[in-house]
Amino acid sequence: MDASVLLALRDPAGIPFYPVVFQALYILTWALHAAFVLLALGSMGLSLYGTFKQKDDQRWKILTPHLIQTGKLSVSLLIVLGVAPLLFTQVIYDPNWYTTNALSGMWIFIFIYALVVGYMMFYWFYYANKAQDGGGKLIGMISFAILVFAGILMHNFAVTSIMPNEWMNMYAPNGVVDNSGWTFNIDIIRLAFMVSLSLPVVGIFLQNYSRFVSTREDFSKDLIDYTAWLGTRIASIGLLISAVLFVLWMYTIGYLMHPVIIATIVGVLVLLFMVLTNKNSYITTGVLVVVALLISGVRELTRYDLMMGLGYNIYDYPVNFEIPSITMFLLTFLIMGGVGVAYLLTMAWKVGKSQGIFDGSKDKAVNTLGNYTLGIMSLWMVVFFGWGMTILFGNIL
Amino acid sequence: MDIIGQFPLFYFPEYGSAWMMGITGTIHILASHTSVGAAMLFAFLAYKAYKENRTDLYPYMKKYGMFLLIFSYVIGSITGPGIWYTATAASPRGISALIHNFVWVWATEWVFFVYEVIGVFALVYFINKIDKKTHLKLTFTFALASVGTLALIIGIISFMMWPGTEAYYTTGSASDAFFGTNTFPHMFLRIGFMIMMSGVIGLVISSAMRKENEALSNELSRKMGFVSMLGGFVTMFFFMWYMGTLPDNAHAVFNITKDSIIQNRIILAILFSLYFLVAIVKPKLINVPVASAMIAVILIAGLWPGEKLRESMRKPYVAGQYIYSNQIISRDVPGKGIKSELPIIAEKGLLQVNPFVPENLKVITPGNKLEAGKLLARMSCSNCHSLETTGKFRPLKDRLAGMDKEAIKSILYAIGAGGMSYMPSLQLPEHEYDALAEYLASQKY
Repeated sequence: MDASVLLALRDPAGIPFYPVVFQALYILTWALHAAFVLLALGSMGLSLYGTFKQKDDQRWKILTPHLIQTGKLSVSLLIVLGVAPLLFTQVIYDPNWYTTNALSGMWIFIFIYALVVGYMMFYWFYYANKAQDGGGKLIGMISFAILVFAGILMHNFAVTSIMPNEWMNMYAPNGVVDNSGWTFNIDIIRLAFMVSLSLPVVGIFLQNYSRFVSTREDFSKDLIDYTAWLGTRIASIGLLISAVLFVLWMYTIGYLMHPVIIATIVGVLVLLFMVLTNKNSYITTGVLVVVALLISGVRELTRYDLMMGLGYNIYDYPVNFEIPSITMFLLTFLIMGGVGVAYLLTMAWKVGKSQGIFDGSKDKAVNTLGNYTLGIMSLWMVVFFGWGMTILFGNIL
Repeated sequence: MDIIGQFPLFYFPEYGSAWMMGITGTIHILASHTSVGAAMLFAFLAYKAYKENRTDLYPYMKKYGMFLLIFSYVIGSITGPGIWYTATAASPRGISALIHNFVWVWATEWVFFVYEVIGVFALVYFINKIDKKTHLKLTFTFALASVGTLALIIGIISFMMWPGTEAYYTTGSASDAFFGTNTFPHMFLRIGFMIMMSGVIGLVISSAMRKENEALSNELSRKMGFVSMLGGFVTMFFFMWYMGTLPDNAHAVFNITKDSIIQNRIILAILFSLYFLVAIVKPKLINVPVASAMIAVILIAGLWPGEKLRESMRKPYVAGQYIYSNQIISRDVPGKGIKSELPIIAEKGLLQVNPFVPENLKVITPGNKLEAGKLLARMSCSNCHSLETTGKFRPLKDRLAGMDKEAIKSILYAIGAGGMSYMPSLQLPEHEYDALAEYLASQKY
């Protein structure tokens, strides 16, 4: 694709801040999104296995519904966290994003409703399994298959977006325009690598699960030991598979000796060591987050290089600074987001650790964070209306 | 090189691609409005339960919450980005304009959205696991976060209609674009509808509880009747204000079907007032099938035509009154350095300036004239009109029935000259007018 076309496809409004900030936010939020995609995939898959074991195995009787619940929550989180990278990618890579969506318009529509149907069926599975041990197997499997299909469609969008040289052939093969929106592309090695990551993620989750419930008296030592063992086994095998696929993927695209790729491979090996020793799975999770950021960085690196090679440099995107709205975002993200999410997560942690009712009103951290969250949100509303009225009166009076 | 930033075109046969956005949007509005309304209702119920020590209200909140999780948060949270997705396929430059003007506003909304999604799970699953005071505080923050998401999206969708003043075009500022004349009436119109929806959904839940606890079911149904009535009144009140803040082109479209729209709204207002009155006076008469059917009535008879109307009233624009529905920039926006693309299209033609037109169709010849005309029709008309002789969505067959090439051409000239306020003033070179008219005439509508 000609550079002049790619540059013409950029939005004429320009972007409201330095491109590198959007790029960094993209890498950060994609890693968060991917973490929950992989946790959803791993926990849902394992919960389906659990439905075959839970009737006869006391450990799976407890673990299976917890895995279903984890899958359910993860899908919600992957959706909400997925909004952010979608937002940031179309700010700086709008030619790629919009061309892809128009070329795959039908798949876009199918993707949305596949997610709706697949996720609703997962709730059905949750209730069926709650009603009866081992229940809902078929519904669970259909739901899982639909959600995996939605994931493959998302992979199609990602792959098509980095094939600018092929876009014209996809849209008008042999000069005949095709407006049908059925463009579909797949990169098997890349997809297999991404899917394989669900194994280490769910494995480390199981190690965390074991560690978290180890302080609860109502969980047996047998279950605690078993989940730690299972987590170690799944994560270590998964990491080896992922490492092989990652090397293969990088080799095929000629990036194997790049410093970021080497750093990622070292990160995976460190992770493997930590998983096998399982001294503190919470620290392992921290390293997993770093590896996820590196993988997100690798994706962005390959895209950036590809587009640069075609004459499209995101750092040259015209900037029209927009100070008030970025100020609003940063303050909301750092203050309200930070305090608010800390409030919810602290509460969730303490509820999970408690047997019986947790009295948050007597817990200093939960109480203080709750008061701050409420105060910050109320103040936010006052500022919003004050700002709006000032602007509006200024423009109409 | 004279090219403009047009993307490949996605067209769904018989309907066009815009309807996909419309369907997703309508479903999303039902789910998202319910969720914000329910968040406010939750705060009210939690406050009442805490202050009056009404422990019997918690099971109701739990049931309502589970319904909310499945209905609003599964459907709402997927169809929300879903509108965005389908819009990028159907109207890429429209959505791009919104993104590039409001990315930080959207990012701020995302922060609230994250809080809301984690919060709803905490709200529902911790109802029996935390003390009442902490739960009350959680419901308050949840309600504020939900209203926050509305506050942040409303300026963006109001901008789609128009910025309301000339300030945005001069400054290019997101603040001027966001806080237009119709932003606040639009916001309170939707808050009214959200309150009403929380009551309408609440009636399904309260009537479902009748077997377990009839007295409580009746009490809650009555409350939901009052809540819905209040929400309905607020909706009607702000709808009047909202209509007064719309641009002339919106009123031009509205006036075409004004009588039937008003008639439809009066019937709905009477029907729902009676429904809410029954809930207040004779709550026993409300059962799950009736309450569910009323939700379907809102979706089919209220939201779907309402959203279609809102989309129609934006015509010929898709965003900010500077991008037409057919993805062409129609005016300068000096504050952003944006230039109108109409002059270059009038001079060179759409086929020449669109980078995704294949080489064999760039120049019109007798051999490719019909094919070029077909592509021109798709590029300039299909975002709003289905093109087939059996088309369903604002079909051209109804507008060009029985016309020959010259008659069609005269309509195209009139549109290009700005003769219809709700159609884009798109002037084409004569050879493109000719090819377009020849193709449309060949369809024999």
